[in-house]
Amino acid sequence: MKVVPVGRARSYLPEFAVLVTLVAAPIALPYLGFSTDLLTRVLNWGLIGLGFDILFGLTGLLSFGQAAFYGVGGFVTAYLLVSGALNSVWLALAAGTAAAGFAGLVVGWLAVRRIGIYFTMITLAFGQMAYFMENSPLSDYTGGENGIPGVPVPVLGFGEHAIRISAGLPMYTLFAVIFFAGYVLARRIVGSPVGAVLLAIKENTGRVAMLGHNVPAYKLTAFVIAALYAGLAGGLLGSFQSYMPPDAFALETSGQLVVQTIVGGAGTLVGPLVGAAVWMWLRDNLQLVPGLATLWKLVLGLAFIVLVIGLRRGICGEIAHWWSERRNYAALRAAEAATQAIEATGERIVKPSVRRARDVMLPLPSPAIGASDIALDVRALARHYGGLKAVDGVSFKVMRGSIHAVIGPNGAGKSTLFKMLLDEISPSSGDVLLFGAKVTGSGVSHAAQFGIAKSNQLNQLFPNLSVRQNLRIAALGRRRGPLRLDLLRPADSLPEVEEQVGSVLALLDLVGRADTPAHILAYGEKRRLEIGMALATSPNVLLLDEPLAGMSPAERAATCALIRDIARACTIVIVEHDLDAIFELAERITVLYEGRLLADGSPEEIRRNQRVQDAYLGGLHAHESA
Amino acid sequence: MKFDRRQLLLGAGAAAGLMLPRPTAFAQSPSGIGTFPDGVSADSVFVGLTIPLTGVFSGDGGDLKLGYELAIAQINAGGDVAQKWGLKGKGILGRQIRHKVSDTEGKPNLDVQSATQFIQRDKAIMLSGSVSSASAIALEELGSREKVLYMVGIAGSNDVTGKNCQRYGFRSQQNAYMAAKALAPVVAKALGKNIKTAFLVPDYTYGHTVYDSFAKFSKEQGWQQVGKEVVPLGTTDYSSALLNIANSGADVFVNIAFGADAVASTKQAEQFGVLKRMKLVVPNLSSFQDKELGAEIMQGVYGSCDFWWGLQDRNALAKTFVETFVAQNKYYPRWGAHVGYLQSYLWAMSVERAGTFNPVEVIKTMEGSKAQPYDTTIGKVYFRAEDHQMVRSIPILRGKAPSAMKNPEDFYDIVDLVDGESVMNPPDLFGCKLGPYS
Amino acid sequence: MPSWPALLSQAFNGLALGALLALVSSGLTIILGTLGVLNFAHGALFAVGAYAVFVILQYTQSFVLALVIGCGFMLLLGFLLERIIIRLFYNRPHEDQILVTYGVGIVLVECIRAAFGGNAQRVPTPSWGQGATQLGFLIYPTYRLQLIAIIAMLLLSLYLVLYRTSMGLVVRAGIENPGMVGILGINLRRTFLLVFAIGVVAVGLAGMLYAPVVAVTPDMGANFMAQSFVVIVLGGLGSFPGAVIGGLIAGEIISLTSAFNSSYSEVMLYALMALLLVLRPQGLFGSEGRV
Repeated sequence: MKVVPVGRARSYLPEFAVLVTLVAAPIALPYLGFSTDLLTRVLNWGLIGLGFDILFGLTGLLSFGQAAFYGVGGFVTAYLLVSGALNSVWLALAAGTAAAGFAGLVVGWLAVRRIGIYFTMITLAFGQMAYFMENSPLSDYTGGENGIPGVPVPVLGFGEHAIRISAGLPMYTLFAVIFFAGYVLARRIVGSPVGAVLLAIKENTGRVAMLGHNVPAYKLTAFVIAALYAGLAGGLLGSFQSYMPPDAFALETSGQLVVQTIVGGAGTLVGPLVGAAVWMWLRDNLQLVPGLATLWKLVLGLAFIVLVIGLRRGICGEIAHWWSERRNYAALRAAEAATQAIEATGERIVKPSVRRARDVMLPLPSPAIGASDIALDVRALARHYGGLKAVDGVSFKVMRGSIHAVIGPNGAGKSTLFKMLLDEISPSSGDVLLFGAKVTGSGVSHAAQFGIAKSNQLNQLFPNLSVRQNLRIAALGRRRGPLRLDLLRPADSLPEVEEQVGSVLALLDLVGRADTPAHILAYGEKRRLEIGMALATSPNVLLLDEPLAGMSPAERAATCALIRDIARACTIVIVEHDLDAIFELAERITVLYEGRLLADGSPEEIRRNQRVQDAYLGGLHAHESA
Repeated sequence: MKFDRRQLLLGAGAAAGLMLPRPTAFAQSPSGIGTFPDGVSADSVFVGLTIPLTGVFSGDGGDLKLGYELAIAQINAGGDVAQKWGLKGKGILGRQIRHKVSDTEGKPNLDVQSATQFIQRDKAIMLSGSVSSASAIALEELGSREKVLYMVGIAGSNDVTGKNCQRYGFRSQQNAYMAAKALAPVVAKALGKNIKTAFLVPDYTYGHTVYDSFAKFSKEQGWQQVGKEVVPLGTTDYSSALLNIANSGADVFVNIAFGADAVASTKQAEQFGVLKRMKLVVPNLSSFQDKELGAEIMQGVYGSCDFWWGLQDRNALAKTFVETFVAQNKYYPRWGAHVGYLQSYLWAMSVERAGTFNPVEVIKTMEGSKAQPYDTTIGKVYFRAEDHQMVRSIPILRGKAPSAMKNPEDFYDIVDLVDGESVMNPPDLFGCKLGPYS
Repeated sequence: MPSWPALLSQAFNGLALGALLALVSSGLTIILGTLGVLNFAHGALFAVGAYAVFVILQYTQSFVLALVIGCGFMLLLGFLLERIIIRLFYNRPHEDQILVTYGVGIVLVECIRAAFGGNAQRVPTPSWGQGATQLGFLIYPTYRLQLIAIIAMLLLSLYLVLYRTSMGLVVRAGIENPGMVGILGINLRRTFLLVFAIGVVAVGLAGMLYAPVVAVTPDMGANFMAQSFVVIVLGGLGSFPGAVIGGLIAGEIISLTSAFNSSYSEVMLYALMALLLVLRPQGLFGSEGRV
C-alpha cells in the first residue's frame, strides 16, 4: 500500500486528474462503446463507491449491506416526490440522504461493535432485512417489487424559467458535478485527522485505542459517511431514470459494489468508479459479440476470476503503487540501505557525543491530575482464567515521578498485570487508581485520555505509515480527545500536534527517518518508535513493557539514558528481564511470582531478599514442581 | 443527402397510405417526436428488445425472444406468412427491422438501462420485452417519457393497464382480472359450486393482484375460501405452507406461484398428497410448467394462459405460427413466444395502417382499433382506447392424462375459448389515467 | 394462534428442513474454519450436485448409484477447484477469497445454464421414496422422512471422520490453529485439499438429495446459501456441531414462524442473525476469543 502523502506540499494532482477525466469522458469514451447514459450510471456507482471506499478501503471494514442505504435514500427521495409531499427534487434528495445517514447511524451503532467477518455478516443481515421491508410490509410506500416509477428529474431555477435536466449530456453534467464535489470532500476527509485515525484503525486497531481514540465512534463515523454517500446516490438514481427500482436493495447490489471496488482498487477513492466502468462496459459489450448472447455472463465471470488472481491491488491500486514506487524509489532504497547498515553494525549511524541528561519537551500538556503523591494505586488486582490465577490479589503503590520496576520469572503474571493497569483487560477483581481516579472499567481509550500510556513488548506500530505519521496519530489522540469530527482540515494542520511530533522525533533521534515507512526501520529504531508513540500522548504515567528486549548493549545504554530523561517529566513503570539495567534504573521494585506479590521495596532490599533469589533460581520450597 | 431521403420517405409513405383504408382524421401530430423520424432510415428501423436471458426468468425469456425473432424474420422476408397477416411487401413500409436483444437478468433496473441505450444509441423506434410486471411498468414509464412506443411483453398484473398505465404502452396478454373472470365460471361448471378453496399466494404485488381477482370471482361462483398461505417470493421449500393447506379441508388448491416457484410448489404439493385430495387450479399457467412437472402431475389441472399451441386447429394464423416455430426451433412454442410474435405483428400492422412510424399516429391507430379489429392467431382482437389493454379471447386449459397425449408436448385440452369482451374490467377500475401524447 | 396439531406438524417439518440446512452448512463451516475461506460458490455447488444427479439418472435407474457417482464427481470437482484456484488465495486477504469464490460461483451457474437452459429439469422421486406416510394426524411425504434419516447418517459419518480419525484430528487442530499444525510438520496443504473436497461433496450431496423435491434450475442454490450463512453464524463459525444444531434450529425457526405468518418466515432468520451477532457473536459453539 502506498504511503499516504501528507504535508505542506499536498498535491492536488488527483483532483485535477479526476476533473480532466470527467470533462473528457463524454467526448472520448463513446468511441469505446460507452454511451452517455452508461457513463452517468458509472458515476452513480462511483458516488456510492466514494463512501464505501472510506469505509472499506480506508478503515478496512467490509460491508455487504450498502444496498440498504442506497435503497433507503432512493426510496425516501422517490416517495416524497411521487406522493407530492415535496416539490423540489433537491430537497427530496437532501431528505433521502439524511434518512440514509440516520439508518446508517442505527445499523452502524450495532455493527461496529464487531470486527472482521462478524461485522460483514451483520451488515449482510441488515441488508437482507431492508430488502424484505421494501418488498413486503412497506410495499404500499415502496411499490413492492414494482418499485416507484415516475420520479421527476431535477430542475434548476424556479418558475417558468426553470430548466429541466434532461437525459443525456445535461444529466451527465449534473452527476459529474456532484461526483466531483463528493470526490473533493472525500479527499479532504481522507487527509483529515479523522482520516488519519481511520487509516490507523485499519493498520492496527488495538494500538489506536491505546492512544486515546474512541475506536467504535470513529468506525461509526466512517459507516455513516458511507451511508450518506450511498443515500445520495440512491436518490439520484431514481431521479435520473425516473424510476426507483426495488433491486436497489438487493444483496446483489451490495455484492456488485464490493466487486467493483476491489477490481478497481480499494483505498484509492476512484477505484470503485474505475471498477464500475470496467464491469459495466464488459457487461454491455460482451453481449454485442455475436454468438455470446447468453454466454456473456460466463465470460464475465471468467474474466473476473482472472482479474482477481492477477491484480492484487486492483487496477487503480496497481497504478498508484507503481507510481509511488517510482517517485519514492530513491528515498525508499536509501532508507532500506540505512536500515541494513544499522542492523549490521548494531549501532546507530550517528554516534552521539557525550551523553548528557536532556529535558524532555512535550508541548502538549499532560492531563490535569490531583496533587496526590501516589501516581498508581494498585489495589488487590486479580485476574483468573477459569481455575488458573494469572494474577492473584496484587497490591502496590507507584509514587509520582519515580521509576518503578516490576520483575519476576516467566509466567509470573507481569504482562497480565500490566494490561490491567491501563484497563486493556478487565480484572476479575480489584481496581487501579490513577492519581486517585479509577481507571479500571473505563476502557483503554479513556485510560489514555486520563494520562496513562503503554509501550508494548511486541511492537504495535502502524507499519505502512511513516514515522512522523505514527507519532502524529498518538499526539492527535490526546490533543483532540476521544472523538472529534474535524473532517475538513488537513491532518497536519494542528500546530501543537506537529510541535509535539517534532519534539519526540528529536528525543528519539529519529529525525532523519521521519518520513520512512515504519516497517523499513531497523529493530532498535522500531523499539524507540514504540516508546515514542506512548510518549507522544503526553502521559502522566508511562508503562514500558520490556523496552530493552532484543537490543544490543549499545542500544540498551542509550535507551536507559532515554528512560532516565523521560522520568524527569513523568512517572514510569517498567517490566524488564534485564536485571542489571533494572537495578540501575529503578527507584523501587515489585517482584511477582506465580501471580502473587513476592516482594516490594528498594533495589537493595530486593537484591538481598532470599525469597526473590530462590524464586529466580528455581522455585520456592512450598511450591509444587511445575 | 438526408434531405433527399426524407422526401423519398414522405413520398413512399404517402403512396403506401393511399393504398390502405383511410384512417380517421386525427388532430395534428407532431412531425418529430422521440426517435421519430431520426430512427427511421430509408431502408430500416430499429427495435430494441430487453429480455432476461440469465437469472430466474431465463426460461420464459428464451421463449419470448424466439417469438420476436420469428415474427421479425417473417416480416422482413415479406413472404406469404406476412401477407396472411395483411402486411405488404418486405418489412414494414418498405423498411427492414433491425433488432438487438439485451439481457436484463430479470431486473427492472437493467431493463430501463438497456432500453435507454437502445433509444439513445440505436434510435429504437419501438421497444419490447420484459418477463415481469415490474419490468413492464418501468419500461412503459420510460417509453412515455422518451416518447418511444413500448409493446408489453410478458406481464399479467392489473397495474400494467391499471394504475401504472401509460400512453405509450400497449399490452396483449390478459390481465389478472380478465383471466380470473374467464376461468372461474368454467371451473365452477366443471367442479361444482359448493367448493372450499385454499390459496398459495407469492408475496409480491403480482401475486396479490391475481389473488384478489380470482378470490373475487370464485366467491361470486359460490366458492368459499378456507385457507390462504402467503409465501415469500423465491421460496424453495413450501412444506410449511403446504402442510397448512393440506389440513385446511379444501376441495380446490389454487396455486398463484409463477415460474420456478410454481414448479417447486406444485411438485411438493404432489409429494404432500395435496393433489390427491384436491383439484389444482392455476389462474395463470407458467410457460413451461407443463414440461417441468410432467403430465402425471398436470393432468386434470385447470388454468388459463395467453396461448396454447393447440389453438392451431382453430385458427389459420395460429397454425402458421406453430408450424413455422416448430420448424425453426424444434419445440412447440409456449405463450411467451406467442406474446412476442403477436406484439410484433400488431405493431407492424398498426404502422402500416397509420402509414407512418410516427408513434403518436401509431398509438392513435391502435387506440382506434375497436372499429377495425385485427385478425390474429387468437381471432379478432383490438386495443381498448381507455387503458390500452387488448380485448381478446382467453383460452381455458385442462391438463391431459398421459395416455391421451398425442405427442410429448401435448399437455392440455382447450376446454373453452372465452370471449374477451365479456370479461373486461371497467377501464377505470384500477385507476388508469393515460398521459399525454407528447 | 395456530392449533396444536398445526404447530406440531410445523415443528416436525422444521426437522426435515433443518436437516438439509445442517448438511449444506456443515460443508460451509468446515471450509471456513479450516481454510479461512468464506465460500461464495457454495450455492452454485448445490446446483451442480442437483444437475449431476439429473444427468446420471439419464443413464441409470438406481437413485443410490446416481448418488454415489455424483459424490465421486463432486469430489473431483472439489479437488480441481482447490488445486487450480483456491490454493492461490490462502495468503491473500479475506476479501479476495470471497471475491474469487463469488466469481467461481457465477461461472458454475452460467455453465449450467449454457448446458441445460433456464427451465426447470425434472428429477423424479426415487421409487422407494414415493408416496406419503401417515404419522398420526400428519401426512408426510415418505421421501422427506427418508431424507431425515439419510442426512442424519451422512452427518454421523462426517462426525466420525472429524472426531475419530487422525485426519479429522488434524482438521480440527487446523481450525484451532493452522500455524501450529504447520509447524508440527503436518502436511497442511494436503489437509486443506481434503477439507475443501469434503465440504464440496457435502453441499453437492445436499443438492442431489434435494433435487426431487425442488425445482432444478441453475439459480436454485442461491437461497440455500444465504440461509446457510445464517446457520453458521448461529452455530459458531468453524464449528461442525454448531452447523448441525444451528441448521436444525434455523429449520425450526422458518417452519414455526410460517405457522403464524408465512411471509415473515425467512426474514426472521436474518433478524435472529443480526441479534445474535450483536449479543453473542460466537454463536452456540464458537470460541469467544475469535471475536
